[in-house]
Amino acid sequence: MADVRCPMCSKSNPEDAEVCGVCGARLKPLVIDQPPQEQPPGQAEEPRTEQGAEQEEGLDWLGRIRTEAESEVPDDEIEPEETTDEAVSPDWLGRLREVDITADEGPPDGEVPDWLSAFSEDVGEVGEPEGEEQEWLDRIREKKETEAAEGEKEAEPVDDWLARLREDEELVPESLGADEITPEEFPLPAEIPAEEEVEEQVISPIEPMDISIEPSEAAPLEVVEDEEAPPKPIDVLPEPTEVAPPAVPSDVELPSEVEGEVEEVDARVDEFETPIEDELPHVPALILDEEAIGEQTPDLDLDSIQLPGWLNELRETTPQEEVPAEDVSQDLAPATLPSWLEAMRPVETFRSVVEIESMDEQVVESAGPLAGLQGVLMAEPVVAIPRSATVGAARLEVTERQYAQAELLHRIVEEEDQERPAATVRRIRLPFLRWVIGFLLVIAVLLPTVLSFKNGEGFPLPSYMPRDLGTLFSVVEEIPPERPVLTVFDYTPGYAGELNTVAGPLLEHIILRGLKVVTVSTQPTGSPLAEGLLSRVGVNGENYVHLGYLSGGSTAVQLFTAAPRETISMGFLLPDDMQSQSGWQSPILQDVLQLSDFSLIVVITASTDSARAWVEQAYPWKGETPLVMVLSVGTEPLIRPYYEALEPQVDGILTGLPAAVTYEQYLGRSGDALALWNAFGAGMLTVELILLAGVIYGAAIWLARPRTVETRSEHND
Amino acid sequence: MWAAAAVGSGIFVLLGYFIDYEIILTLRLILMRWSVLLAAVALFLGLFNLLTVHWSKVSEQEKGWPFSALLILVFLVTLIMGLVFGPDNQISLLLFNYIQLPIEASLMALLAVFLAVAGFRLVSRRRDPFSLIFVVVALFVLLGTGPSLGASDSDAYILLRQLRNWIAQVWASGGARGILLGVALGAGLTGLRVLLAVDRPYGD
Amino acid sequence: MLGSIDIVGLLVLLLFLGLLLGFAAVGRNWPTVFRPVPGFEELGTAIERAVEAGERVHLSLGTGSVIGSDSAPALAGLAMLSRVASVTTMSDKPVVVTAGDGAMTMLAQETLRSAYQQAKVGERYRRTSGRMLGPTPLSYVASLPILIANEDVSVHILAGSFGAEGALAADFGERQHAFVIAGTDDAQSQALLYATAEYPMIGEEIFAGGAYLNVGPLHRASLRAQDAVRMLIVVLILTGTVLRALGVIL
Repeated sequence: MADVRCPMCSKSNPEDAEVCGVCGARLKPLVIDQPPQEQPPGQAEEPRTEQGAEQEEGLDWLGRIRTEAESEVPDDEIEPEETTDEAVSPDWLGRLREVDITADEGPPDGEVPDWLSAFSEDVGEVGEPEGEEQEWLDRIREKKETEAAEGEKEAEPVDDWLARLREDEELVPESLGADEITPEEFPLPAEIPAEEEVEEQVISPIEPMDISIEPSEAAPLEVVEDEEAPPKPIDVLPEPTEVAPPAVPSDVELPSEVEGEVEEVDARVDEFETPIEDELPHVPALILDEEAIGEQTPDLDLDSIQLPGWLNELRETTPQEEVPAEDVSQDLAPATLPSWLEAMRPVETFRSVVEIESMDEQVVESAGPLAGLQGVLMAEPVVAIPRSATVGAARLEVTERQYAQAELLHRIVEEEDQERPAATVRRIRLPFLRWVIGFLLVIAVLLPTVLSFKNGEGFPLPSYMPRDLGTLFSVVEEIPPERPVLTVFDYTPGYAGELNTVAGPLLEHIILRGLKVVTVSTQPTGSPLAEGLLSRVGVNGENYVHLGYLSGGSTAVQLFTAAPRETISMGFLLPDDMQSQSGWQSPILQDVLQLSDFSLIVVITASTDSARAWVEQAYPWKGETPLVMVLSVGTEPLIRPYYEALEPQVDGILTGLPAAVTYEQYLGRSGDALALWNAFGAGMLTVELILLAGVIYGAAIWLARPRTVETRSEHND
Repeated sequence: MWAAAAVGSGIFVLLGYFIDYEIILTLRLILMRWSVLLAAVALFLGLFNLLTVHWSKVSEQEKGWPFSALLILVFLVTLIMGLVFGPDNQISLLLFNYIQLPIEASLMALLAVFLAVAGFRLVSRRRDPFSLIFVVVALFVLLGTGPSLGASDSDAYILLRQLRNWIAQVWASGGARGILLGVALGAGLTGLRVLLAVDRPYGD
Repeated sequence: MLGSIDIVGLLVLLLFLGLLLGFAAVGRNWPTVFRPVPGFEELGTAIERAVEAGERVHLSLGTGSVIGSDSAPALAGLAMLSRVASVTTMSDKPVVVTAGDGAMTMLAQETLRSAYQQAKVGERYRRTSGRMLGPTPLSYVASLPILIANEDVSVHILAGSFGAEGALAADFGERQHAFVIAGTDDAQSQALLYATAEYPMIGEEIFAGGAYLNVGPLHRASLRAQDAVRMLIVVLILTGTVLRALGVIL
């Protein structure tokens, strides 16, 4: 069994499938011809009365289109057309079989109603349908039978022109087969509007079709006076209105095949809002089932169709194509196609499932730029085909994150509709606060220097020695002078302002006691800082010597404390007589082999890690050598536990400018600490006032503002 | 392979702290000395990276490229002088004492200004009790550290100094020790993750 | 010859290891619930915003060296870097990492490269994404304003070893109105960062960055192990204090 290809997604489907299993598109379009399966139960096998049944079919299909458009009933639930034995095909339908197949367009010759008479000269005979057309017509018929078996469709009220159809109907010869109708037996409608707007039903004008009408079985044409009326069948030509569907003359009976095709179209049209008076002629849609190909559609007496003049001219100019005739029982001539239309023929794969009606049954387009043309592809049914969601789409798993993101997107989209005030130009905010505070601090520090406060003027000097300082002083006083003092300069130049000032009195005390100083540093800039500090109180080579840079951080500290001579071999800024020698060759270090050979270890640092590293690494190796530390004020709290422990690992701490000032006072010497005391006091006082102002300002803001959701304030610089 | 090398050397160094075994100690010392050498070499690589970045800025004329060019020039001059004359040369010391030292000291002075500004805005920005406590405590510490406004042996000043010492040596010290303990725990487990090759900062 | 063995040290080490592996094993059945840290909660949003706005994320590993105790916070910063880099690999302006040490810079480059390779965009990796700004702390910090301004940095992460210069680094980010989250191991520096950074990481929160940013299950396990050992230390301290107060322990 040949598969049917979906016109939308080109997927293969079973031959008997109504809709595509992948995308849900309809496979078998609605066609005018009413296949036998759409007939109500019990009547499927009855031969149709040509005229009466076809008329009823012709009326029924409209009703079905309308009803289906309203209810969106699936194809298989479309009620079958009501058929009556007395349905009579319109006269003009009898002339459909007389359409010359060699003619591109136009109704066949024959009895042409007035309104179709204008087309009579342009329409050739409808040729015999081809085998494919026979097949698709058969499929349509079968489908209609199936639909008819599943239910009945209520008859729609009939429009006037349909009433005229019944009045003027001519009986279709009973001798005609179920699938055949000859143009001469169905006279064309009396009136054919000059410009009709035909419903864009898909009936390919490429292949001529044999349209057979079984009036006895076909349901009467049903027309509903409703704005949502479905499109008219192709053989029902519009009334001469501006937006008028083709009027079906009273003497025209709709062939069963045409009505069947219409029903297929009905199923696809959901939202056709053209009132019945403005119904467009129903052009059967592309019949996508190969079985439907070959089903004979009622011949359309194209000669009786009034076509626009330009279309008539086209007919005259375009060559008439010979369409091979199908071996059918009908005597319908296959329609011919103009070359330009032949060029529009779909590709092979698509053609195989496209069921093209013969030229006789093709509805003349009544709207749009293709008005007046026959065999125009009608997009609307194809477009309006409802597609059901695939199985996979129904199973949507949404994670929480996706849901949150979807909500966010939804909010963002909603926010787009909200009006927002224009963005204000961002003012350039100058950092006034920084400038003001910086200015105040500079003034506070510079003023004492400018005013040249003498000692004792300005801020009062410390009047007592702190306990820590006393201990440190004692330690320095008790160390033996014959062994050098190891001084570690583990701070960066940024801290030189503080630590040089604080460590100065201690180093001066050491130098004054005649002790030699050996410097080392784990910072690359430590040795230059040591030279800058010690050069003020001593002489390089006599009072001090630099061992240089100890690379490796705390790892190097561990190595140095374990084996000092093996860890560092070079020196820094050695005296001239020691050039290209190691610092260990200095007379100061001649008796030093290990860490415990030093008389005192002084660590000057602003880093907690460095201080801890020296304390922890030196403790196992220093023996009885005391270890004192000169620290930045911020480092003191973390190192004090080493000093205040039951087994202290640090024997003395010197921190802060007040301690240094006190040390200098104790030494009786005036150094940098005393010189900076007033500036230090003024700066501290200024900072205290700034902090106090900040607290007051913050508290005032805190208390003054209403209790709302707090957001971060802007930077108020 | 790199993970195995990192894990192996890390394990030996770690065990060397706990097991007093000659081979392990020797291996640990060797690895630690190698690490010192590698850190020094890495310093050069870092400086090379610095040059590369600024050179690309100069060659592509990116924003601020003149400063990058100046950096490269000064870098090369200082490097050449240090290599030719030595790091303890008078010119090198001149550059250090009159350029690097003042610049870094100035940055530290800027820190004082920035901290003062931050302290001023802290309560108004954060508006939580902890910020208020932070600033108030800082105020008391400053009052107890700096010179007295009156006599240095006045009761108020002595009280302030005792308050400052109590805050610094009890609360700050205790809190800092707690932080240190937590940091030590975090550092230890971070190191363990590296030893277990969970974290691979050296790349895959 | 086998010398002495620090049994206590080995036991502590084994305790750490056992807790780490144990919590990693039960992690699936015993989900971890962390207390909210505002900085980490806002960090993800800030990074996403930066990526969408075409702005850059900057992560600083501090001025500490690879060898030494100041490498630990930088290693924690590298763990955060791997996560941040994975998020920003496809951004117009991927993350930039800076350090004040050459070896740390190399580690940062390797971490970035691994992140790009894991994201299957290894060709987008640029070695200059990992930079050494200066060999000394203040020279490193002095280069930060230039980098923040030129690279359109809107997220400024400080995760490494900082001294007082960390406050400067945080303040530079604040002046550029960037999202600043800063953490270090030094308590003194943490106090400064509390005043200057928008989202300071206090205590050992920097070591929790890997767990909060979902770097891996072992990061969560290590955080739980930290908590467990910390509670053990608290109990020991309290017990020792009580015993000392009672005169039991001299």
